[in-house]
Amino acid sequence: MLALRITLLLSLTTLASVAEPLSINQKRVPESRDDLKQIQRLMQSALPAARAATVCIQLGQGSGSGVVVSEDGLIMTAAHVTGGVGQEFTVVFEDGREVKAESLGLDSEVDAALARIVEPGKYPFVEIARDHPAQLGDWVFALGHSGGFDLKRGVVFRPGRIVRTTDTTLQSDCSLIGGDSGGPLFDLMGRLIGIHSRVGAKLPENMHVPVSAFLRDWQGLMDAQFIGDGPFAERPEVGKAFLGLLVEARSEGGVVVKRVGRESPAEKAGLKEGDILLSVDGKPLNDRDGLQEWLASKAPSDQVAFELLRDGESETLTLRLGDRDA
Amino acid sequence: MESLKPSLFDWETVMHKGTIPFLALILALPSPAARSLESAYRMGGKEMHRAFEPVQAFLQQGSAVIKRGFHEVIFGVVVSSDGYLLTKASELGEVGDLTITVDDQRYEKPVLAAVDTEWDVALLKVSATGWHPVDLSRTEDLERGEWIVANGATTRKYRRVQIGMVAANTREIPPSGGAVLGVMLEEEEEGLNLSSITEGSGAEKAGLQKGDRLLAIDGTEVNLREEVLSCLDTRRVGESVRLTILRGDEKIEVEVELAGRTDIFGESMTRNDQMSGDFSTRRTGFPRIMQHDIIGNRHFMGGPVLDLEGRCVGMNIARFSRCETYAIPARDLAELVDSLIKRSTMISAD
Repeated sequence: MLALRITLLLSLTTLASVAEPLSINQKRVPESRDDLKQIQRLMQSALPAARAATVCIQLGQGSGSGVVVSEDGLIMTAAHVTGGVGQEFTVVFEDGREVKAESLGLDSEVDAALARIVEPGKYPFVEIARDHPAQLGDWVFALGHSGGFDLKRGVVFRPGRIVRTTDTTLQSDCSLIGGDSGGPLFDLMGRLIGIHSRVGAKLPENMHVPVSAFLRDWQGLMDAQFIGDGPFAERPEVGKAFLGLLVEARSEGGVVVKRVGRESPAEKAGLKEGDILLSVDGKPLNDRDGLQEWLASKAPSDQVAFELLRDGESETLTLRLGDRDA
Repeated sequence: MESLKPSLFDWETVMHKGTIPFLALILALPSPAARSLESAYRMGGKEMHRAFEPVQAFLQQGSAVIKRGFHEVIFGVVVSSDGYLLTKASELGEVGDLTITVDDQRYEKPVLAAVDTEWDVALLKVSATGWHPVDLSRTEDLERGEWIVANGATTRKYRRVQIGMVAANTREIPPSGGAVLGVMLEEEEEGLNLSSITEGSGAEKAGLQKGDRLLAIDGTEVNLREEVLSCLDTRRVGESVRLTILRGDEKIEVEVELAGRTDIFGESMTRNDQMSGDFSTRRTGFPRIMQHDIIGNRHFMGGPVLDLEGRCVGMNIARFSRCETYAIPARDLAELVDSLIKRSTMISAD
């Protein structure tokens, strides 16, 4: 009986792998026109959903790519695209629709970053290949807004194979160029397997961050942490944080806001003249120097919480510090 | 061949030109965990190309290799059985000393039969018979993800395939920087003075001279540089405009063909250009193109793009960047063949 059950299980597994329509990936090369047509058919049927979820990321003067991976607008991209935590930027879908987004965490060692669309809505998204890591030789395709957004051109598609793998990198022969950074690499089922990261000295050397590198860091990335000290993003420097407030001590304790800088993190968070700040991150505030001292210990993009009195009501307000040099 | 110096990738030192650059790393030494696919099984590999062998036969007969001495200048598309072929006009130079190879035969002394500057296409004629022109019957635009085949490295007797797929929407590529006359204009009290004529421009070919005064474009009076720009705004490269010119006391009319601004005045390299190797000089200003990802340099242009059935779905017209190649779609190519052959026979009948 036991033997029978094992046999059954085995045959079921075999059946499942036969049913998997990716037998083409088992061949060293396509052997016939039919094989080529199969690759073409799989890619073309995966393309509409993959294109709809591939976005152009417009941040400051630059533009990169990204891909939406949840209905509420979570985006996977490269760390060197967002460049930091809490960055605000515009996301453009292939049809030209623009929405606002902000970066969450990043890993500067593997070039992974998350971001989220801040406008509530239902967005087209793709599935992450959690249980189907890319294998050497697999057929894949790259999408991206090469060279920036172009409505008439649309998302640019490039096919290829996985030609080299390491723990932290996938290499494919899908040629990449500036603007593709952060864009998605898909398997033949249209599942996301990697994010475009960097190019080598020769044309066929195109490197992607495997989704496994994102999944390893997932909680930290979701919690907007700056992870690692790698080459792909510069860790914000302590002492360079910017708040944009002018305050004065108050005899009853706390400090009164006298002025709020235009476009400053304080203004964006909604701080107003006349607000009374009682404490920051649990540390009581009694004078101007106290606030200055505390700020000097912080770095740009740190998240901080103020306890304050406004119109006699006590409130808690969290905000992300800016960069003094930005 | 596409030598890209690592120093070019030093993204800290290069200005951001609109796109977020890739950080190029010299590949780390092979680590024990790394696994690699043999090059024969990659997109550019020999084994990979076996499944495309049936298409090679069409490439062998439908493409031409145009050489000057031992140097490959450009490829061409065979469009008639009696010696007509299309190629990329701006890469040709003088045609008299070119040789043409079709299949395993070599032909000498081609004649430049006609040129279409808007598409940057030249019609060449050699004395030949029994050629197999490409099949241009597929007229719909191709979708992303369809396999295509083009000329790769070639030997005297054999055309090797290069493979790729359609990459983007078929569309117009406006001239980079717009269409221009090729002159410098000075605004003076009496009007617009031509202060210099750019070499190789339509203005030079039309015989415009320094000191000429520009009075009108296509009958519209112009007094300011802005007015000239707005006159040319909607015009395309390759179109002609009629200029009214005052030279001394004489009023003359000349036809000037418009060129792409960057084709005439050059352009500054962007980061994406620096990582793209040897791209075509004339690479913008086409009424309609199909974009694909087949890698090649500027000398790989001019040849046919074939589908898996061996039909010609386009002609490579510009290598734009590292991952973007433009081809004239078959539908437009069919019209070009007709109009250029008609034009050339009218000329020879004169």
